[in-house]
Amino acid sequence: MWSVGKMSASKKHTSFDPPSSASSDSDVNDRHDLEPLLIDHVGANGICNGSTDGHGVDYCCPASPTTVPAKTARSNSSESTVRPPRTARQRQRTTSMSQKTSNPSESIIRANNRTIYTAGRPPWYNCAGQQVEPFVIGICGGSASGKTTVAQKIIESLDVPWVTLLSMDCFYKILNDKQHDQALQNEYNFDHPDAFDIDLMIDVLRKLKEGRKVEVPIYNFITHSREPTTKTMYGANVIIFEGILVFHSPEVLKLLDMKVFVDTDADIRLARRLKRDISQRGRDLEGVLKQYSTMVKPSYANYIAPTMVHADIIVPRGGENKVAIHLIVQHVHTQLQLRGFKLRETLANSYIGEPMPDSLHLLPTTPQIKGLHTFIRNRETSRDEFIFYSKRLIRLVIEYALSLFPFTPVTVETPQGVTYEGQRLACKRICGVSILRAGETMEQAICDVCKDIRIGKILIQTNQVTGEPELYYLRLPKDIKDFKVILMDATVATGAAAMMAIRVLLDHDVPEENIMLVSLLMAEIGVHSIAYAFPNVRIVTSALDPEINEKFYVIPGIGNFGDRYFGTEPSEEYIS
Amino acid sequence: MCTGSSVSDASFGPNVKILNSNSQIVELQTIIRDKNTSRSDFKFYADRLIRLVIEESLNQLPYSDCSVETPTGAIYDGLKYRSGNCGVSIVRSGEAMEQGLRDCCRSIRIGKILVESDADTHVAKVVYARFPDDIARRQVLLMYPIMSTGNTVLQAVNVLKEHGVPEDCIILSNLFCTPIAAKTVVGAFPQMKILTSELHPVAPNHFGQKYFGTD
Repeated sequence: MWSVGKMSASKKHTSFDPPSSASSDSDVNDRHDLEPLLIDHVGANGICNGSTDGHGVDYCCPASPTTVPAKTARSNSSESTVRPPRTARQRQRTTSMSQKTSNPSESIIRANNRTIYTAGRPPWYNCAGQQVEPFVIGICGGSASGKTTVAQKIIESLDVPWVTLLSMDCFYKILNDKQHDQALQNEYNFDHPDAFDIDLMIDVLRKLKEGRKVEVPIYNFITHSREPTTKTMYGANVIIFEGILVFHSPEVLKLLDMKVFVDTDADIRLARRLKRDISQRGRDLEGVLKQYSTMVKPSYANYIAPTMVHADIIVPRGGENKVAIHLIVQHVHTQLQLRGFKLRETLANSYIGEPMPDSLHLLPTTPQIKGLHTFIRNRETSRDEFIFYSKRLIRLVIEYALSLFPFTPVTVETPQGVTYEGQRLACKRICGVSILRAGETMEQAICDVCKDIRIGKILIQTNQVTGEPELYYLRLPKDIKDFKVILMDATVATGAAAMMAIRVLLDHDVPEENIMLVSLLMAEIGVHSIAYAFPNVRIVTSALDPEINEKFYVIPGIGNFGDRYFGTEPSEEYIS
Repeated sequence: MCTGSSVSDASFGPNVKILNSNSQIVELQTIIRDKNTSRSDFKFYADRLIRLVIEESLNQLPYSDCSVETPTGAIYDGLKYRSGNCGVSIVRSGEAMEQGLRDCCRSIRIGKILVESDADTHVAKVVYARFPDDIARRQVLLMYPIMSTGNTVLQAVNVLKEHGVPEDCIILSNLFCTPIAAKTVVGAFPQMKILTSELHPVAPNHFGQKYFGTD
């Protein structure tokens, strides 16, 4: 019935990029793959607007989400042929986004119903692997005061690689039938604190602040219930939380590092609301005014305006106020610098000459292992042989890794009629997680030794400009926290990518001692960094090399393992 | 010099080596011995143990130092195995180990020996043998997973020696060995290397039957 969805989605993307986060299932599906869901979302956010308020910026913020009665909606769709085409589009109020990817068409690759982001998440922890607490900004203000515009201006000016924007709209309560009818009659008060699930909101915000993964509900304004899917979000360097009642709960206030109140004149707000609701949502003047005078205005006076006292900064006139935005941005920059995020270089320069940590398990250097290394390290080795011998080596490494798991004694009966005192693996739930791309080469071996093992994947790439690892994609087995995890990467140089992967696992509640990092070759520095940051993670490798070069390759090393295995080395002429 | 991940058993001299045991290897042995193991599990875990034994057997082969240049331009001091090895499996259960050897050495030549025991006298007799022509110049990996008396292996090694293979060029790859068999074989061929995963008085004699599904 909402036929407006499709034309919209492509039309204008000025304001919000698709999340370039490493996304888990729900988020990938609901945002990009499924057309029906997209339409649903348009409905969910009210018919969105495309109104550009002179600055080319959408400020469609249904602070009091209004429900369009079913009848009106129907008549709308028939009318839409005479009206100028509406530019409704999916509005992503809650999204993790990267500053660097201003154009969504460039930042997303779609293949086989999967979405891969080409701008990843940079480290959100320091070089000791510990969480760096993100900076949380709360933006409060009346309906149609321009909170979203302010949030967006802050994001634009901040120029930090990673920002998570969370909207209070996600936390509307699920309505019962009676309330649902009220809502249809414009009689349900969406501006009242009781309309929100404050407990859930606090829980989500707290987890984000701890840098953990959260499932944020997606609220459907048609059914007034939550969508079955949720949006997966991660804590970022900066988290912006916006909504009409952000300052209402004392618990939420405690979590905010900076509180911004957007103070826009009541008549301007009413004018915006009228314009939006009537011209874009096809509602009548009477209904809008009724809702405004009976609920929106009293709620503002009773619940929103009084919270202004909590604000650190009050921004008059909203997003147009460049001076205020500038001040906010400067303050955030100072705070972020104090917390510090630079990683790879720090890692590469520490721990020289220290003894190797206890968590390192090096395979016994047998002649075979050395012989296999000789083959795969030799630059003259053909790819055919490279693949064959690395597979053999991988198998040995995986077998060795499995032997480090706990076992329990058992007694079995034999066909020979005697009993046999044996051992069985004590943990039944083991899963593999490979760090793309080189780690994938180890998947076959782990499947060959563990029947029906589950395999997760994490894509981490090095940013060519900053040299920092960035997280692009991850897909992990459900309940990964209950598994022993074998984390696989073919080579570990500085350990930056492995640390990020370990951090991701920890964020998914996998206990540190249940993680085993397995690779063919490690640089000593990488081992030190990982062992220092995560002393309980067991590290398994078949060889240790002393150095890494300026390109962060291990010396003497193997070269780029993934390129050699998959045959994607740059050709000779390309190098010169 | 690297000695690999196996240890010699003092009571049988330096040439009987046992794969360094750990809980995981014991688990594989447990599954193979358990009479309640399904055939599919049996084959899966037997293949894993075979692969480990084969990898360790290869550690016994001669090699020489070899330095190579890596793609980063640095030098890696590695080693190189001599060419001129071959496998010989004792039909039938020894053939279960051929795939494991193939997985490690793709184009290795594999000979076969069929030894049959007389049903009444239990005297083992070679009824078929087929080797590469130049076997006398090669290192031979003799594959036979279960040794309870050692008689079959004695006959097989005799045939190899008849074909001119020196005793010290033979490495016997074995999964389960009884102390009696070890004693018999070492007594007969003190120069031959024997690698096994377990010395235990009871050998899982059902191995071949269950592996090939003829039980």
